[in-house]
Amino acid sequence: MTHSISSFMTQDHRDCDEEFAQMEISVSKDDWNEAQVKFDSFSQNLEHHFNMEEKIMFPKFETKTGMLGGPTAMMRMEHEQMRTVVGQMKDDLNAKDKNHFFGLSESLMMLMQQHNMKEEQMLYAMVDAHLSQESQEVINEMQGLVKA
Amino acid sequence: MFNQGLSLNQAPPASIPFRFFLTAPLFGILIGLVFFFYPLESIIDQYSPVAIAVVHLFTLGMLAMIIFGAMQQMMPVLAGAVIKQPVLFGNIVHISLTLGTLLFSASFLFSNKLLLTIGAISLSISFFVFFSNAIYLLFKVKYLTSTVNAMRIFSICGIITAILGLYLATDYINGSLGTQHFNFVNSHATFGLFGFGVILIMGVAFQVIPMFYVALDFPRYIQNKIPILILIFILALVGFFFLGLDIYVLKVILSSMFILFSVYGLNSLNNRRRPVFDVTLWFWKVSLYMFIISMLNWLFIPQDSMFTLAILFGLGFLYSLLQGMMYKIIPFLAWFHLSSKGHMTIPTMREMIKEDFIKLQFFIFMASILFFLLAGFLSNIFLYLGAFMFIVSNVILIINCANALIKYNQISKLNPMDSFLSK
Repeated sequence: MTHSISSFMTQDHRDCDEEFAQMEISVSKDDWNEAQVKFDSFSQNLEHHFNMEEKIMFPKFETKTGMLGGPTAMMRMEHEQMRTVVGQMKDDLNAKDKNHFFGLSESLMMLMQQHNMKEEQMLYAMVDAHLSQESQEVINEMQGLVKA
Repeated sequence: MFNQGLSLNQAPPASIPFRFFLTAPLFGILIGLVFFFYPLESIIDQYSPVAIAVVHLFTLGMLAMIIFGAMQQMMPVLAGAVIKQPVLFGNIVHISLTLGTLLFSASFLFSNKLLLTIGAISLSISFFVFFSNAIYLLFKVKYLTSTVNAMRIFSICGIITAILGLYLATDYINGSLGTQHFNFVNSHATFGLFGFGVILIMGVAFQVIPMFYVALDFPRYIQNKIPILILIFILALVGFFFLGLDIYVLKVILSSMFILFSVYGLNSLNNRRRPVFDVTLWFWKVSLYMFIISMLNWLFIPQDSMFTLAILFGLGFLYSLLQGMMYKIIPFLAWFHLSSKGHMTIPTMREMIKEDFIKLQFFIFMASILFFLLAGFLSNIFLYLGAFMFIVSNVILIINCANALIKYNQISKLNPMDSFLSK
């Protein structure tokens, strides 16, 4: 079955949201061991999502459209901002600082959702429009990326 | 356009939405004070000059103020609609709206037509600058979402509300209220409250509830059909007003749609994926419950005055929700702008405003609504208690928001590199 790049990536956003919520549930229960497992899984999948975009989707889009400093550059910057927050959350997890953790997770949540919205409503639509011919190939290549 | 749409550099600086948010509760304090200086009966009588002043202090000074502030932040993010020269735009809209509301309301409190003329001109500048830009930008958006659709309908209703308002103000200035005056008043109120107020809140809720709380999306038919249906029934309602027909069937249809929206909203919030306690949920839930109650009240309870309905709908539904939204947006924007500038040691969103103070403000605000409602059953004395509590709740709201802004200002003055140098 052929998916559009947009629907494939949107589903990946939802999966990350779900993992994020699971991680928060563990922290809210003070189950720090489980929280660590959930956090590792969430951060790994989030990083994988970023890599799918930065290493495969964005370069293909940029080559096709010639838009180098545009939307993709802004999305890369936002990825960096999210990576920073995830790093700080990891410190809180190690220190078992629940309050600070939730303060940061709230910010990350807002960042992620705002970012997702921009991607889903604009960038992915543009990607679908420009890469429709090779969509399955792009998806396969992204799925083939090894998780760190 | 997409380059711009995706660039957060095009979003207004934090000071723009902040000034709108901080001005709104100042108008709340003014409303509370009116209760102590004017006869209570004149405030409750919906067509009296004092009531017109109070209603507009609320709808323009609080409702439109928060909505205009939030829209400037949300349009670039939710719709990719970027306002050119956001600082100039924000300044014009904010100054003209603040000044216009003050002069307009003062003209009714002090029976002064000159104030009304200047106030109406000032408000016209604010509304036409805001909506001409919003309509131009929103109708250029290529990739439509339910929120963009709702925002478009909201903008059309906003401009119609303003045109009808201007027509009514001209009537007052000329001292000639035509035979159709009350039909125009009712049409103006319908477009303003249902079109400008409810549709905007729906559009925002479609995005914000799933986004802030990792909750269920609203069903597609609600997202795609209800805002346009509301617009159609608002137009029908206006037609019925002028034809002198009984509007009950339209009331039933509109209330049913509003209740359906609220039920789905509550269902989504109650089944949210995020387990973390969040005090802003209180505001959202109270708001949606109050929306349902106000609609049932509108439908089934014969009204001797519109005061109870106004409290349920205006304060209970609209203002509760807008406060909940401000408590989310302000800490996030403060954190986000500092983080984007490269500051590393920033209070988290939860540290920007102390949760206990938000809870305190919530309870005092709820008490003010309760006292206002009790006045209808027991004694008008409760109006004084309600007004006093309303003033206090708005003072605390200002303090809470100002706390976040002070933290933001203090950190933004520092050099982001300092935290590295001191290590």
